Amino acid sequence: MPSVSKPSASKADASRARVSRTLVAKALAFAACATALLTFPGWAANPYILSAGIVVLSYAVLSTSWNFVGGFTGYISLGHAAFFGLGAYGTALLITRLEMPSFVAWALAGVGVALFAVPVGWAALRVRGASFVIVSIALVLIMLLVFQSWSSLTGGSNGLVVPRPFPDMLRPQHHETFFYLFVALLAVTLLAWWLIDRSRFGMGLKAIREDEDKAEALGVPTYAYKLVVYVVSAFFTALGGGMYALWFGDLDPVFQFSILIGSYMVLMALLGGVRQLYGPLLGALIVGTALEYFKLEFGDTQFHLVATGLLLAVVVLFMPDGIIPAGMKLVDRFTPERSSIREMTAAELLERDDDERPYPREKATR
Amino acid sequence: MSTKTTSIIRIGALLGAATLALTACGGDGDSGGDEDGPITIGVSLPLTGDFAEPGKGVQRGYEAWAADVNDAGGLLGRKVELKILDDQSNADRVVADYESLIAQDEVDLVFGPFSTRLVVPAARVADEYGMLFVEPAGAAPEVFEQGFDNLFYAAPAVADDHYNYLAEWIEALPADKRPKTAAYAAMDDPFAMGTAYGLKDKMEAAGVKTVVDEKYPPNTTDFSSIAAKIESSNADMVVGGTQYQDAVNLIVALQQLDYQPKLAAFSTAPTNPEFPEAIGAKTEGILSPTGYTEQAAIPTNKEFVASYTERNGTPPGEDEANAYTTGQVVAAAVEAVGCAEQGDCQKELIDWLRDNEVDTVVGPLSWDEAGRPQGAHMIQQYVDGQIKIVLPEDVKEADIVFPKPAW
Amino acid sequence: MDGALIFQSLVLGVLLGGLYALLAAGLTLYFGIMRVVMIAHSAFLILAAYLAWYFHRETGIDPLFSLFITVPLFFGVGVLMQRLLVARLRPVTLTMMSVLLTFAIALTIEGLLGFAFSGTQRRIQLDYSGASLELFGARFAVVKLITFGLAVASLAALYVIMKHTRFGQSLRATIQHRDAAQLVGIKTDRVAGYGFGLGLATAAIGGTALSLDATIYPSLHWHWIGPLMAIIVVGGLGSIPGAAIAAMVLGIGQSLLQIPMGTTWAQTIFYVALFATLMLRPQGFFGGRLAQRF
Repeated sequence: MPSVSKPSASKADASRARVSRTLVAKALAFAACATALLTFPGWAANPYILSAGIVVLSYAVLSTSWNFVGGFTGYISLGHAAFFGLGAYGTALLITRLEMPSFVAWALAGVGVALFAVPVGWAALRVRGASFVIVSIALVLIMLLVFQSWSSLTGGSNGLVVPRPFPDMLRPQHHETFFYLFVALLAVTLLAWWLIDRSRFGMGLKAIREDEDKAEALGVPTYAYKLVVYVVSAFFTALGGGMYALWFGDLDPVFQFSILIGSYMVLMALLGGVRQLYGPLLGALIVGTALEYFKLEFGDTQFHLVATGLLLAVVVLFMPDGIIPAGMKLVDRFTPERSSIREMTAAELLERDDDERPYPREKATR
Repeated sequence: MSTKTTSIIRIGALLGAATLALTACGGDGDSGGDEDGPITIGVSLPLTGDFAEPGKGVQRGYEAWAADVNDAGGLLGRKVELKILDDQSNADRVVADYESLIAQDEVDLVFGPFSTRLVVPAARVADEYGMLFVEPAGAAPEVFEQGFDNLFYAAPAVADDHYNYLAEWIEALPADKRPKTAAYAAMDDPFAMGTAYGLKDKMEAAGVKTVVDEKYPPNTTDFSSIAAKIESSNADMVVGGTQYQDAVNLIVALQQLDYQPKLAAFSTAPTNPEFPEAIGAKTEGILSPTGYTEQAAIPTNKEFVASYTERNGTPPGEDEANAYTTGQVVAAAVEAVGCAEQGDCQKELIDWLRDNEVDTVVGPLSWDEAGRPQGAHMIQQYVDGQIKIVLPEDVKEADIVFPKPAW
Repeated sequence: MDGALIFQSLVLGVLLGGLYALLAAGLTLYFGIMRVVMIAHSAFLILAAYLAWYFHRETGIDPLFSLFITVPLFFGVGVLMQRLLVARLRPVTLTMMSVLLTFAIALTIEGLLGFAFSGTQRRIQLDYSGASLELFGARFAVVKLITFGLAVASLAALYVIMKHTRFGQSLRATIQHRDAAQLVGIKTDRVAGYGFGLGLATAAIGGTALSLDATIYPSLHWHWIGPLMAIIVVGGLGSIPGAAIAAMVLGIGQSLLQIPMGTTWAQTIFYVALFATLMLRPQGFFGGRLAQRF
């Protein structure tokens, strides 16, 4: 975390003294997680469990990608499923229509979707708050319409079959390969987020999140910054979608451009915590695992929809900062010397609509 | 800094928890290889969503088959047990369902789902696990062009050929009585489009002009504009490539506009027992292709109709019959080869079906190398409030009514 | 392509536009009062349609009578929703978080509907489902006329309430300037709650009207919320007349475009209008003083 906050210098010093111990713990924890993740195909009970693991990983990639916009700028997009679907269809169409090699098509589709995101972002980011969300939802709905209707290109509701990149593999082997491909993609996505988080660019974005008008007054080119990060987010989401297409093999507009996918990304990121690097990943692990579990156990009900809805409502109402900060607060209550976290809430981060109330609140960090 | 550490530790703890959860649910897989236990058969069906009505019909058919088999002492002396999951008419669920049935529950056999859209992804899973895949509902041409060597369609004919008898009959009409114009509306679904466009190709070749050709996505509910176009064209005949609810909606919308065609044909929906009530009993003269009639004088069919009617109170429809047929086809292969389990046995079952003919409730079935059945569909019509076979001549129960009375 | 077909489509468009207008008016109310984009509006619409269907199936009475139950019920739910849920959100993040909250409510309703009634498509079969009147060469389906009549009557009632009652005045004052309204002694919290209830009541009426002539299934609400949100943006967020005009224009446009473009492509008119509005005139084309910054 960049040290934006200095609410209490002495406490900050205290925590700095712990740095070496912290680093060791961090390295150990990281190594343990990475090992657990990388050996997962080895100890997954059967190929079905492995495939469920891939689904969870793909959620992690998607919600981390979403978090480029949601976490840095505080703009909540419910429509990232559009980029997911475009990435998937783009990959599939480049392979089937232009007969490109699978992974070349995948990368090109990502770039193509990034280019597509430029005009979309240009329109959507002109407005703040409500209209931005409306546009983001509309984007999914319009893509669904187009991909359903334009059947000569997209196969319409019949869907599209994506040729297997590794046609000779048996299914369990195929799953294993894609598990590692998804891990690699997730690592790259996390790395990109981390790099932006530490950069000047990232600081500018976070300034937008805190107060867009003030950021602009301070000379942050807010519009350009928002647009760039929106495009980056679309790019990674599309890569996630393309990888999913290569793995899954069958595309159906109703699934690829589903509002539900977009809302999962939001829920996972919010639940884990949008301001943390691993927040969306953690959210994806929890929600994704729960979803797969519930679909397996209660597949013939709409239970997962209700659960998703209720969980989202609970997160929005009671812990809009996600469970990492919520958990931290709990930890802090018992370990008083470790309270150097920033005492800021997502509510303040997301705030933009202050023109209705000219002097709405105190900002914790100023 | 501490923020991150804790978050990492937390993730570690969570991964552990997730792992536990995953392995826990991995542990309860049935022991499928058990030689004395029941033969488990995995199925995923759309019990909710777009295809729920026919999906439930297929479920009833499968359950009727399982009950009949168990009453007769089972397969290879073992009871059969169905494990049916709901895919919500959703392609990603159907894949996950078959994946979990095959890899996790280790079922001995699988039966196909409903609707072409779901058959292709499901068949691929089965194919990649080397499982025999007999399916009751994937009739569209695409199904057989995917290169699956494990797939068999358990019904008399593929979608494009469903209206063949009707097409022949129309072509044989005197030129002045033949319909001159036709309107087509088809759901954007491989099966539904297959039936309507199969007839369209034949009609166009016979000189019947196409005046409306509309395609709509499966979730369409407002048919007033499509109906307005058809009404405005005043086509002599209307053909609907439909599943169930879309046919009901389209017909009601046409009735609202008081459009009266000379001939109206819709796939699938009219054979559903709830259809007459759903369109307000104005069914007179509606045509529909069917691969099955409960009246068919095939010995196993009589038993099927009798036992089904006894259990369910109503005679079986086409969906039920196709599902039952699927069961019969797989059972024939299992009895002939003498095994029912995952592994090499599946290959033997596939090879056996490739080379043999199976007697079913819809008549004897055999397949080409892609799994296409080699037969034709009959044409039914609502005559005096009852749905009856009208074509072909040799099995008809009533004379075809033409032109169609007003609805 | 003949005149009769165009006229018929125009008629269908007007009948559809009426329903859009009623529903968009509800959405506009929430936005005006609370700056809330109520994603769950169309989920409540479908819920009301399901209740009407269920009512008809269980009692055999005309589904229109279910209005006597659903309208008060939805009004109450709306008041409670505002007081217990929306009011809990911190004002600073209200707009964004309310979207998520109402989105969550929409998902929950969809899931519960699927739970209770399964995903099967439902349709009410009435004696007059297929009946129609012929006027000036166009066919007016009786059920569509009833739908339209209900929508127009409700909009008129809404207009009277807003313009000519004390409550309406308080409501408009709250919409225009909440703090000032509070200063002149209006209990803005209570008024906001009732306003929310009023908005939800429009969903009850719209849903019942919809159930007469439409097939319903739990996830249908997504097909309504898109066009409705486009309508309120085009109309200028917060302006009821603007929303009504936009609803009519887009409803007719959709119906006419169906002739050359087909059902599906014609729906894109809403999204094209949405994007065009944002590019050219982000505050909306009608009214829209509030919309400037949202």
